[in-house]
Amino acid sequence: MSEHYSSFDRGGPRWLLQRLTAVFLIGVLAFHFFLLHFVNHAADITFMGTQTRMSQVGYFATMVMFLITATFHGVNGVYNALVNQGLSGTRKRAVGAVLTLASIALIAQGIRVAIAMTDLL
Amino acid sequence: MSEAYDRGPVEDFGRWREFRAGMWAWIFHKFTGWVLVGYLFTHIAVLSTATASDPTVYTSTLQGLEELLIVRILEVGLLAVAVFHILNGVRLLFVDLGLGLENQDKSFYASLVVTAAITVASVPTFLAGV
Repeated sequence: MSEHYSSFDRGGPRWLLQRLTAVFLIGVLAFHFFLLHFVNHAADITFMGTQTRMSQVGYFATMVMFLITATFHGVNGVYNALVNQGLSGTRKRAVGAVLTLASIALIAQGIRVAIAMTDLL
Repeated sequence: MSEAYDRGPVEDFGRWREFRAGMWAWIFHKFTGWVLVGYLFTHIAVLSTATASDPTVYTSTLQGLEELLIVRILEVGLLAVAVFHILNGVRLLFVDLGLGLENQDKSFYASLVVTAAITVASVPTFLAGV
């Protein structure tokens, strides 16, 4: 396959999870963009409108899953891109640790923001 | 499919004139991925204004940003990046399943054309009221 390039070892768990999250993200990212730019114009967004959307259980759960899958997909993509560029040894482990901590911080803060936006909890 | 021969690593950007469709798709997918993950961290940072005790902080921050022309232009760019990453991502999923590999160059060009069409069509919506 002379034309096939990938930053991933095909068949590994990271490769599979990257694709499974991709399938979910294709639909949710398109939905998110369409809802918040074409149905509800971004310039018209208010806290009250956000709270109304985030107080629906299905929407809240979808947004939290969106946050978690997007963070995994994005950070896993960055990590594999760096490994693909030749990152190895101690630097590879250090980058992996920093990216893992950044992911955990982003998801924690994102969930904190989601809770602040909803009156479900 | 094109004949198989070693073109060297795609990471050697100095050879960009020799790059073919699949290599450009790889580079564009990587570039758009970096933009999207960077935006994700920025997005959560801006939305963190929702944690302020006064809800008007969130509303005024978002509406203040939306009043800036540069923000609207960057949003069009973000849409272009997201649409290409989605369309090329679908293309990659099909390639991984072994479907359409012989037409992967055409599907890359189709991703570019559809991205351009959607981006151009969205400009009036993004620039409305600025």
